[in-house]
Amino acid sequence: MRRDPFASARVTRRAAPISRRAALGNIAAGFGSVALAGLMSQPAFGGPLSPKPTHFPAKAKRVIFLFMHGGPSTVDLFDHKPQLDRDTGKPLPFPKPRVVSSATGELLASPWKFAQHGQSGAWVSELLPEVAKIVDELCIIRSMNGSNSRHGAAMLELQTGSDTFVRPSMGSWITYGLGSESEDLPGFVTFCPSQSHGGANLYGSAFLPADYQGTAIGNSSVSSKEARIPFVENADGLPRDLQRMELDLLQELNRERLAEVGSDDSLEARINSFELAFRMQAAAPELQDVSGETAETLSAYGLDNSETEGFGRQCLMARRFIERGVRFVQCSHGYWDSHGNLRAEHAKLANQVDKPIAALIKDLKQRGLLDETLVLWGGEFGRTPVAQGGDGRDHNPHGYTMWMAGGGSRPGTLYGQTDEYGYYAVEDKVHLHDLHATMLHLLGLDHTKLTYRFAGRDFRLTDVYGEVISGIVKS
Amino acid sequence: MSLRAAIAIAAGLSFVGVAFAAEDERASQFEKHVRPLLLERCAECHSDGAAESELAVDSLAGLMKGGTRGPAIVPGQPEASLLMHAVRHSEATLQMPPKTKLATEEIERLARWIADGAYWPGEEASAAGGPAAADTASAISEEARNFWAFRPPIAPAPPEVADVAWVQSPIDRFVLAKLEQAGLRPAPPADRRTLLRRATFELTGLPPTPEEVEAFLADDSPDAFERAVDRLLASPAYGERWGRHWLDVARYADTNGLDENIVYGNAWRYRDYVIRSFDDDTPFDQFLREQIAGDLIFDPTDDGADAFDPVIATGFLSIGSKMLAEDDPVKLQMDIVDEQIDTVGRAFLGLTLGCARCHDHKFDPISAADYYALAGIFKSAQTMDKLTVVAEWHERELASPEQISARDAANANLAQVREKIAALEKSTEGTEESRAAELATLRTEERKLAAEIPVIASAMSVVDAAPADAAIHYRGSHLTLGPVVPRGFPVVLRSETSPKIESGSGRRELADWLASPTNPLTARVIANRLWTWHFGEGIVRSPDNFGKLGDRPTHPELLDWLATELVADGWRLKNLHRKILLSSTWQMSVLGDPHAEVADPENLLFHRRERRRLDIEAMRDGMLAISGELDRTIGGKTLNAENRKYLDGSPAFRAGLYDTRRRSVYLAIVRSGLYDAFSAFDFADPSALTGKRDTTVVAPQALFAMNSDFVAKRSESLAGMLLEKFSDDAARVDRLYRLVYGRPAEPQQTERALAYLDQYQVRWREAKPEEADQAERRAWKSLCRATLAANEYVYLD
Repeated sequence: MRRDPFASARVTRRAAPISRRAALGNIAAGFGSVALAGLMSQPAFGGPLSPKPTHFPAKAKRVIFLFMHGGPSTVDLFDHKPQLDRDTGKPLPFPKPRVVSSATGELLASPWKFAQHGQSGAWVSELLPEVAKIVDELCIIRSMNGSNSRHGAAMLELQTGSDTFVRPSMGSWITYGLGSESEDLPGFVTFCPSQSHGGANLYGSAFLPADYQGTAIGNSSVSSKEARIPFVENADGLPRDLQRMELDLLQELNRERLAEVGSDDSLEARINSFELAFRMQAAAPELQDVSGETAETLSAYGLDNSETEGFGRQCLMARRFIERGVRFVQCSHGYWDSHGNLRAEHAKLANQVDKPIAALIKDLKQRGLLDETLVLWGGEFGRTPVAQGGDGRDHNPHGYTMWMAGGGSRPGTLYGQTDEYGYYAVEDKVHLHDLHATMLHLLGLDHTKLTYRFAGRDFRLTDVYGEVISGIVKS
Repeated sequence: MSLRAAIAIAAGLSFVGVAFAAEDERASQFEKHVRPLLLERCAECHSDGAAESELAVDSLAGLMKGGTRGPAIVPGQPEASLLMHAVRHSEATLQMPPKTKLATEEIERLARWIADGAYWPGEEASAAGGPAAADTASAISEEARNFWAFRPPIAPAPPEVADVAWVQSPIDRFVLAKLEQAGLRPAPPADRRTLLRRATFELTGLPPTPEEVEAFLADDSPDAFERAVDRLLASPAYGERWGRHWLDVARYADTNGLDENIVYGNAWRYRDYVIRSFDDDTPFDQFLREQIAGDLIFDPTDDGADAFDPVIATGFLSIGSKMLAEDDPVKLQMDIVDEQIDTVGRAFLGLTLGCARCHDHKFDPISAADYYALAGIFKSAQTMDKLTVVAEWHERELASPEQISARDAANANLAQVREKIAALEKSTEGTEESRAAELATLRTEERKLAAEIPVIASAMSVVDAAPADAAIHYRGSHLTLGPVVPRGFPVVLRSETSPKIESGSGRRELADWLASPTNPLTARVIANRLWTWHFGEGIVRSPDNFGKLGDRPTHPELLDWLATELVADGWRLKNLHRKILLSSTWQMSVLGDPHAEVADPENLLFHRRERRRLDIEAMRDGMLAISGELDRTIGGKTLNAENRKYLDGSPAFRAGLYDTRRRSVYLAIVRSGLYDAFSAFDFADPSALTGKRDTTVVAPQALFAMNSDFVAKRSESLAGMLLEKFSDDAARVDRLYRLVYGRPAEPQQTERALAYLDQYQVRWREAKPEEADQAERRAWKSLCRATLAANEYVYLD
């Protein structure tokens, strides 16, 4: 049986301490991880992160979320609106939402040219030339909508389903529902997450046990190259054999104590946790060392270019981590909040992610991983078709685009519509709750059954909402 | 009559006699555009046969009566019609049809139809509808009222037991009676070293020093343990330990978290107030009253050092995390009220009152009307000074009115001088020299005045606003209001002695009602919390939920005995600690009787003590104490960041926050970015009330022990101290064991340690020839780290 190092053992002490003590006597003779491997394989150690059965057969086994922090303007990327171009400078002919984040002016045409691509004929703007080439892999949802017009609340809603309170993140729910398949890595990792607008709550487990919380590798103020799992590097830079020696002593102290006090799951689990940690601290740096990748791969992800290097490395890491059985990986990029200077900012930001994203999708496909890996792209909201100043757009949670690829999503699909200007989603609307319900569905989980009892009620990622959108599920 | 019903009637009246379009034309428009639209796009879910949310759109009466959110249309008033809000999709919480919005022309036709009086052939647009009146006095069943937690505790007589020799305290009779009933034996008593280590960690969050251990072992007087307990309860470390437990319940933090991680620069005053209250053994009923309504019972004539404590205490209500950048101020206010109700309900009553925000509680007899009766009280308290983005919480200046006016006067003086300076700088009167001289004088005065302005501290606090009752919010939404409910307390818990809210917000009455000895829950809940924090599990194992979905007490009479003793003792928690620690139950070993292990594997009968992993604070503070580095400074501001500013998230700033030797209770609690060590070790989520922490065993905890700078530094200091103070290696090892484990090293353990030191030094010299002179120190550091990381330190028996 495989074990995740982040798994914990809940302590229920077993009876018959005598026989356990006898067993430990044998183990004490052996030193180190060989004897422990046997101990770990005992069913009693099935931790909370061991793989769990799905509710029904899954199409996707894992998720990579490419998060665009700040709110990319999807009317400038995917949601082509000829009427917006025609009516630029005119007032919006229908009411703006009652609640908005700031005042806006008249309609503003997209400064970028759109063209249709691929068999699906999806419109993609000139900002994303590489993504345009893989558009037939994408299931583009143009009718996304959320409830909140502010970054923090909208990000919390995107990541946790609630724009009101602190709730478990979707990565935590998914890891809780499915467990992890990784032996020496956390089940849920997030690269360089934002520390603002929700910070750790965006990948936190809230009331779910800590086993399911996301592990941040770096944060948004650390380059992806420098990003590390907390405490994975020895503060003294000890050589591995010296640290092993110290660990052997520690484990001997622990086993001696265990023999003295009799059977105790938590004491045994803690002994194991040190072995797993020791393996993890070797595995994680290996995984983050990309020197073994070919020059072509590194170049395809954009690691040879200072503009694309940051997000490219995150995308490459995402592939390497999911190859090792990690359940949920999030990559973060920003900051797309172009209230002004839209032309320059969005051109730069799109360029930073275009090549890495296309490379990731192609790489996953070529390795046969795309079928079982659900890739999700998007921000906490889109941006208004009406202008702020002459060159900016405000937050718009009422109608915007996200896309999925692989993992049982329907490729080459254009789903839903916004109105003629791209302000409100009007057709086949997909609320964030629906997105969550559908993601869980693809992972083999029924969103109404994935519950956790806390403070007197059964909580769900989708609260009392959410509907699986069959139109974005591959039949 | 509700506001909405009033509008409906007014609307109906105003349309009497208005010349509508010819009836035929209206009928034709209705049949052509409106009825088909309603049928095709709405009726599938909202018709008489299958009315979701109880709304039926297949008749005018149905639309006017509306559903659970109130009337759907107000004839003549499209802007006042819920239907129009829904079809426009301009509100996040109500969008119909949900998936595909109606076309713009369709929406306009509906609006026109309503504006024209909502003509429906064969039906009259009479003033109908309005939500069903709130059923405030809804009958609560006898069964619900008789639920154990709602019956007042009555001091029970401790039961008779066979093994009277085991009984040291009435507590033991309750526990032993159950064990004897089950034919089981309690675990033997723990040895004296274990007892002292357990008591010291539990009461102070620190290990006993080797000297304290030896003194205790040498003291064979019968009251030796009792005196040890009294010494521990009197230590300021007790308040730091038990105050921290309460801070878990109070979801204490130094930043807002949630969306905008803004610094709560004065939160520490509440933290210190809590610590002080535990140290002073403030009666719990008073502690409760102060946190709910301290501003209303504050005595302005008190000029003692802690005179403002009751004001600071109300920080409890304000310290939760808030969506400070919420664009909808009404939603924000109701979300804050909800957070307060949820926290107060679970903290003091063990009731999940928050569940009744959207509908009657599904499991407990708490109605939505009960919820909004409380919501009126909290809404009448001003938590926020500004509700628009970025919202600002209220703070109160901790000074007398005289001090405040003196400060304001000083500010005014300074402003005057500055005005003079500004005028003089522009002036051309007189000579340049005379102006320069005058300016210099003024500048001197400016500096003097500026330096003399008294600095007045402030604290997060609430203040009463204009009292007002709240309306029921259907589905928790402020867009669909129902009847207004008078401010008050949940019906099931009301009694004849419950205070009446005559005037004011009702917060003082709420505090009195919560702190009343006749409230069936308050004393039970805090007594159970105390038991939980001592034993690792409560008598009710769900300490924050005493409702139907919570656990039932394993020992109801014991819980009632503890609760009634607490009240009889004047709500003094230290007395309750003393009673618990001086019982055989508390003093049992973690090794149970083998038969009891088999019969009661979950230890529901408390047949033994639980072995517990130290929490992060005890583990960290203990390491600092052992290495001799613990800074025992009490209280004060510790997050060095400006109030109301965004917290610096840079790695350097974050690292600096935790590089301190103060006790863990004083480390900054950053919501949205908890200290890595805290989050690895199941620290309480600072955004939510936590009555019982998880105790997971996960790899990041091992990484912390093996690799962190913190453990490395403690090990280094400890090694340095041993090398410096003792000349003999065996004596050093013995001291190490006494410091870390509270016992001497056994001979073979000393031997093993010495062999390890030798071997390590050899390997070190091989691996690091350039640092060969460090070999001995490094070997000791390694031995110290392994000793500190070992289970014998990390687990409490």
